[in-house]
Amino acid sequence: MLEAALEGLSGVLQPQALAFMCLGVLIGSLVGFLPGIGGPSTLAIMLPFVMTMQDPLMVIALLVGMDAVGNTASAFTSILISVPGSSGSQATILDGYPMAKNGQAARALSASFVASLIGGLFGAFVLFASLPVLRPLVLSFSSPEFFILTLWGVSMVGILSGNAPVKGLLAGILGVLIATVGLDTKSGIERYSFDIAYFWEGIDLVLVALGLFGIPEVIDLAGRKGTIAKAEEFGQGYLQGIFDVFRHWWLLLRTSVVGAWVGFLPGLGSSVADWFAYAHAVQTEKNRENFGKGDVRGVIASEGANNAKEGGDYIPTLAFGIPGGTSTALVLTAFIAVGIKPGPDMLTTQLNLTFAVIWTLVIANIVAAAICMTFAKPVARICFVPFYAIVPPVVAFIFIGAFAANFHTYDLTALMIFSLLGFFMRRYGWPRAPLLLGVVLGDKMELYLWLSYTRYGFEWLARPAVIALTALLLGSIIYPIVSAWREKGRAKEPLAKVSA
Amino acid sequence: MMASGMERILFTVFVGFVTFMALLIAKDWPIRASIVILFLGSIGIVLAVAQGIADFKAWRRGSPDARRPTYEVAALEHQGRWGSLEVWAWLWGLFIAIHLIGFLTALPLFVFVYAKFYGGRWATAGILSGATWGFLYGVFEKILHVPWPTPLIGSWL
Repeated sequence: MLEAALEGLSGVLQPQALAFMCLGVLIGSLVGFLPGIGGPSTLAIMLPFVMTMQDPLMVIALLVGMDAVGNTASAFTSILISVPGSSGSQATILDGYPMAKNGQAARALSASFVASLIGGLFGAFVLFASLPVLRPLVLSFSSPEFFILTLWGVSMVGILSGNAPVKGLLAGILGVLIATVGLDTKSGIERYSFDIAYFWEGIDLVLVALGLFGIPEVIDLAGRKGTIAKAEEFGQGYLQGIFDVFRHWWLLLRTSVVGAWVGFLPGLGSSVADWFAYAHAVQTEKNRENFGKGDVRGVIASEGANNAKEGGDYIPTLAFGIPGGTSTALVLTAFIAVGIKPGPDMLTTQLNLTFAVIWTLVIANIVAAAICMTFAKPVARICFVPFYAIVPPVVAFIFIGAFAANFHTYDLTALMIFSLLGFFMRRYGWPRAPLLLGVVLGDKMELYLWLSYTRYGFEWLARPAVIALTALLLGSIIYPIVSAWREKGRAKEPLAKVSA
Repeated sequence: MMASGMERILFTVFVGFVTFMALLIAKDWPIRASIVILFLGSIGIVLAVAQGIADFKAWRRGSPDARRPTYEVAALEHQGRWGSLEVWAWLWGLFIAIHLIGFLTALPLFVFVYAKFYGGRWATAGILSGATWGFLYGVFEKILHVPWPTPLIGSWL
């Protein structure tokens, strides 16, 4: 393991890999500064270009570097203009913005950067610490267990990523159905191709990702006409913010654990991690009446958790090939395209690449925190770039990225169709992440199911691990639905009493 | 602009219809090609019916938007008279322009016109547009030799 760790480190310390990592950190940070353009949409835009790269180490350096730091820089807009730069920094607003209004923006920002850095390092450590536990577990699994795991991944994301479990599950199923389009290699049947040659290769995931996440985010940004908000004063207390983090180290450690755990569970994204961590801080800390009025502990809790979540996210992604969320689903797609095989290989023959991911998480977090802290004042101005300077270049990138999927004009038509689907899904409260995950995992799910059936008939259903995983799967589907019904029932009771 | 209950029902019906059609088409294929479709598609139909009923009940109650708190970032409220239709018009305009005049002309033109239309300075619009053209021409045309599709206007002439 030590050898693989050193090999991974030397890989990411190559000048070219370092350059790609810094580029990734810069793009990830820039995306964080700009409210409206989220991490998943940027990853989707980058995907077609990254998938042409040959060296897996460069892809890891660029994409993991980019993915790891989005939440660090997004604190700028959360604290300065009360608009979350990413979904993972929503809870930061609760105390960060009041601090800025009290003339303590600098203190809030420095506390958030240091908390993000330590949270990110903790997440990388959790990923490292999980390797000895995961190795025997993953190696004991066969196609039936992997089938249930892929099913569990899609259903968990479906149930937990939005507010409507049934819609989430349906979106996941729709994703799997989209993944079946094209020539079936097992039977030679053209599935849903309608005699159009374009469909033989299947629908490119890049188009689905760009349509679901790229265009709808741009529509949001363009539609609200991005009025330039008035910045709060930068204020004083930059050093004090750093000391605050160390003064509240125990809180940071606990919320980092919360973040890493949330990341490990498929379906719970960074937007959940920061709220869970914030709620934990409010429930467990003394003088809780200060929360929401500009308490630095609120900033530390949410920012530590949302970065720690990234390390946790990569545990199921690398070990089982089941992405923890939307961003890792896109990273996983790029990994597979360049020859990285998530699953048992990542813990055996490709262990050095797993360590490359861990080292990238470590270095990227350090670089991002250093950039944000050093250039905080000038960077803060980027938050106020008008929308008309952001929207058209992003749209141009999306269209080029879509065309680069197959270099076919139908790619643009597919992009527009998936954009409409993504737009309506967002409008009517359907979570989009499960659909994307369904497309990512659809092929694997089908393969594992077919292998299980041909190898074991129906006997695979009686394997102990399959029974245990199926119980877990059913529990994770039924429990949220039942609790939602109970909540509805409780909400109706007071109304019934009033009307009586 | 809030989505109405009827719109929600229609969208659920659409998802259910797509799932049903996928199942209907796949039923004639051999099991090796349809196993996952039959397995998940059947569940999908049941879920679509359940969701449709839930949407219908919510519509009858008149509270389609009364839901549990969500962790997803809510869609932002759009400004202006036309809301998101205005943005869609730009996107479809670009889509048509790419087919008519080609990528290398349509994208820089789109960037310039968009920036200028919403109050950007001539210099800002020009720089953004020039940078887009430079990127397209330098990276995609000269380095990657991307096979651009022939613009329709070019083929007509």
